[in-house]
Amino acid sequence: MIRSRTDRALLVALALAAASGAARAFELGELMRLLGANRGGSATYDEQRYVQGLDAPLHSSGTLSYTAPDRFTRHMEQPRAETVSVAGNTLTLTKNGKTRNVALDSVPEMGAIVAAMRGTLSGDAGALERWFRPQVEGSAERWSLVLVPSEERIAARVATILIGGRHGEVRRVEVRLADGDRSVMEIEPLAAAKRASVAR
Amino acid sequence: MIERRGARVLALWLLFLAIAALAIGRTRLDTSLSAFLPKSPDAEQRILIEQLASGIAARSLLIGIEGGSAAQRAAASRALAARLIESGLFEQVQNGASDGFEAAGRWLFEHRYLLSPSVAPERYTIAGLRDAIDETLSLLGTPAGGAIKPSLASDPTGETLAIAEALIPAGAPRNEDGVWVSRSHPRALLLASTRAAGGDLDAQATAIARVRSEFQALAAPELRVVLSGPAVFSVQSRAQIQAEIRRLALAGGVLISLLLWFAFASLPALLVALLPVLTGIAAGVVAVSFSFGSVHGITLGFGSTLIGESVDYAIYYLIQARGGGAAHWLRHSWPTVRLGLLTSVCGFAALLFSGFPGLAQLGLFSFAGLVAAALATRYLLPVLTPHGASGAGVRQQLARVATGAMGVMPKLRYAVLALGALCVGWLVWQGAAVWRGDLASLSPVPEAAIKLDAELRADLSVGDASTFVVVQQGDLEATLRSAETVSARLDPLVEQGVLGGYDTPARLLPSRATQERRIASLPGARELAERVEQATAGGPLRAERLGPFVEAVEAARKQAPLDAASIATSPLASIVDALLLRRTDGSAAALIALQSAAPGALARVRDALRDVPNVRVIDVRHELQRLYAHYLREALLQALLGACAVVVLLAFRLRSLPRLMSVCLPLALAVLLTLGGLAAAGAPLGILHLVGLLLVVALGSNYVLFFDQLHRAGRTDHDTLASLLLANVTTVVSFGLLAVSAIPSLSSIGRTVAPGALLALLLAAAFAAPRKPATSA
Repeated sequence: MIRSRTDRALLVALALAAASGAARAFELGELMRLLGANRGGSATYDEQRYVQGLDAPLHSSGTLSYTAPDRFTRHMEQPRAETVSVAGNTLTLTKNGKTRNVALDSVPEMGAIVAAMRGTLSGDAGALERWFRPQVEGSAERWSLVLVPSEERIAARVATILIGGRHGEVRRVEVRLADGDRSVMEIEPLAAAKRASVAR
Repeated sequence: MIERRGARVLALWLLFLAIAALAIGRTRLDTSLSAFLPKSPDAEQRILIEQLASGIAARSLLIGIEGGSAAQRAAASRALAARLIESGLFEQVQNGASDGFEAAGRWLFEHRYLLSPSVAPERYTIAGLRDAIDETLSLLGTPAGGAIKPSLASDPTGETLAIAEALIPAGAPRNEDGVWVSRSHPRALLLASTRAAGGDLDAQATAIARVRSEFQALAAPELRVVLSGPAVFSVQSRAQIQAEIRRLALAGGVLISLLLWFAFASLPALLVALLPVLTGIAAGVVAVSFSFGSVHGITLGFGSTLIGESVDYAIYYLIQARGGGAAHWLRHSWPTVRLGLLTSVCGFAALLFSGFPGLAQLGLFSFAGLVAAALATRYLLPVLTPHGASGAGVRQQLARVATGAMGVMPKLRYAVLALGALCVGWLVWQGAAVWRGDLASLSPVPEAAIKLDAELRADLSVGDASTFVVVQQGDLEATLRSAETVSARLDPLVEQGVLGGYDTPARLLPSRATQERRIASLPGARELAERVEQATAGGPLRAERLGPFVEAVEAARKQAPLDAASIATSPLASIVDALLLRRTDGSAAALIALQSAAPGALARVRDALRDVPNVRVIDVRHELQRLYAHYLREALLQALLGACAVVVLLAFRLRSLPRLMSVCLPLALAVLLTLGGLAAAGAPLGILHLVGLLLVVALGSNYVLFFDQLHRAGRTDHDTLASLLLANVTTVVSFGLLAVSAIPSLSSIGRTVAPGALLALLLAAAFAAPRKPATSA
């Protein structure tokens, strides 16, 4: 029952808010919730790097795996075996049979790139906002996340990171470096059944 | 004739004082820990001492900037680093900012074919080149690629990168706003190494003061600077010990003077009483200074305790000589004092043979000091005051208290014996666990400073350089070759995670053999150009872009190998210097510092290096503890021998078992009860407690011998009792002062001697043979 002008005004305001909500754009918080529901999984990837001064793009491929909240591994199979895995503050690089550990917070450029990947996979807006000004475009069916570094020191190396995906899955990562070089990684999630068996 | 003899004694004494004053004026005060290291070290211990005195760890200053905002701290870190480098006092100042490394990077780049561990014949075959170039290219298009892109054409195989990867430690501080920051506290971090040696405390003090003054000059009131490092500890300890000695000497002097004034009520008597003290301390300093070249702060601090012991002689003389004069005292009391002196000297003489210079100094100081004080009492005091102290003071009251105690104490005999038995039981049950004082317990560094040091070290990922492998050979080349062999054995351990890594001088100065092998694996210009052509065919990087590479390799083939001279002028000289010790006889030692060794890692390292000759694995902390434990055992044994000597001496002089028993029992009980009390209070007992117990025996022997003398004389001499009580009060007061000292080594002695001396007197009274009360003397 509507008893006063104030109540009516409130009702109108609520109705307006509901209407605008239905039409509003897909937002960062929503994307983060979608991504955050993902507890882990694995995928194959295919990467092309476009480097000025080289005659052809550099191509590599392999698998990726992620376990919530902070474990991420890139296992390169082609053109040679090389594994980069991140857990907590430690990045471990294994190549030529040698293993090397690096503290992520000791090399901020590396920390930022890892934060972009890990923050997106885990739906951690705080981790992204620590280093970047994130912007979301598109819809839940097909979104893209634009990350522009907020620190001058990172911006001197990395111009933009573009991450594209569908629902809770990341399908494409493009890193544009400040010097014009760029890399594009296409990601193909492994089938759910297979993912389940991997998880088991 | 007496007059003439007296004049001679006075002249001799004044001459001694003059010489002593001269000698003391030139005496160097030493506060380093090295006095507590062996004087005739073996090779391992020699390196240990060299490292403690001048190694890179000893020259490191850990600097933290706290307060304000992160941006303010970062700005202050940059400004402070620039100012410190400007000052010229520091070899290196690092704060995480990448500037300042260009020179070092360029030098490494220019010598990459001599230094890169991956230069080998197979890497310069067609297949090897293709792999190496591929690997370098794989970094392009990533943020890391920016660093290698400029040198791609001249270093496509990534040799500079290979050198850098080997040199950069795995653990690195957190980097924010371009500078190092703490992971646990809001704090910016810097790491500086002084040009001056760690053992040069004056220069270290200057460097530390410079850091503070440069920080002040930044005019950032909301920020503050914290400093740590071995040099900071040493400089602070020295200042603390000096201030403490001054404070103790002053407080002790004033208190004892007041007591004596109170007791004698005569200024001349007071002044005369202090003469044996003065003479004893002068003799102690001179003896130690002549024998050891310098006097350790601890020894001098201990010297102030001799006030308590040597003033006793004067008290005995001044009070006891009152009735019969000097001649009477010399006849009746001097033999007792002399026997007490001999007993004390026996105890301390044992320490003279200690291999621990610090302990030998204490022994010599006490020995010389006590003998000089007794001689001054024997020869000087009769000349100055032939009839003892004239004033009445509180002697009567002292005598009354002492006589009263004489009546009460013997009733407590059985209680005391029971308590003694309890102590024996407790000590036997505790066993060796009672003696768990360690070297750290000698250090006056406060807990908070040690905590800060640990924090800064964790933040900066710098260990305390406590474990290293030492390689020693007859010349530099052989040493470097051995160091390379050690590296080859350590690499698998690093790979398995047993070691975090290691620093070796051979990375920057490889042996000549290794450098020549690397150069020999480089093909000639034409051959290389052909191989590059084939290796890059069909790849993304065209061969014609790699002209600079072919030229650089050709130039490297003609490059002179690096030697000690060329390293000395390089920007990395200080790093090599710190790890390579070159001796005047041409021999050299390389230090390979192990980083973050996992528990049990040292055993694995020793195992891996078992068959490599002239290599030692040293764990500084363990080594120091082992040394300390060794000297503690040695000192315990010496003290036991000293005790045996005391008993033999007394038996020889007293020539009666009951008398020997009545003299030894109170002393043994006093030592036992003191020891039991300290152990029950949970104090970790160490060498200095042992020294304290020797002092208790030294002081107590006078008490028991005087009681023995009274027993023999067959009457209660009130003056003797008064003198014993006064002597005891001065001792307890002066050692009580020591007990509250902030310097652990001094407080250990004080806490042992103050209760021990009091117990010795009470027990001497308790076990004195019963006397029927006599009329006053």
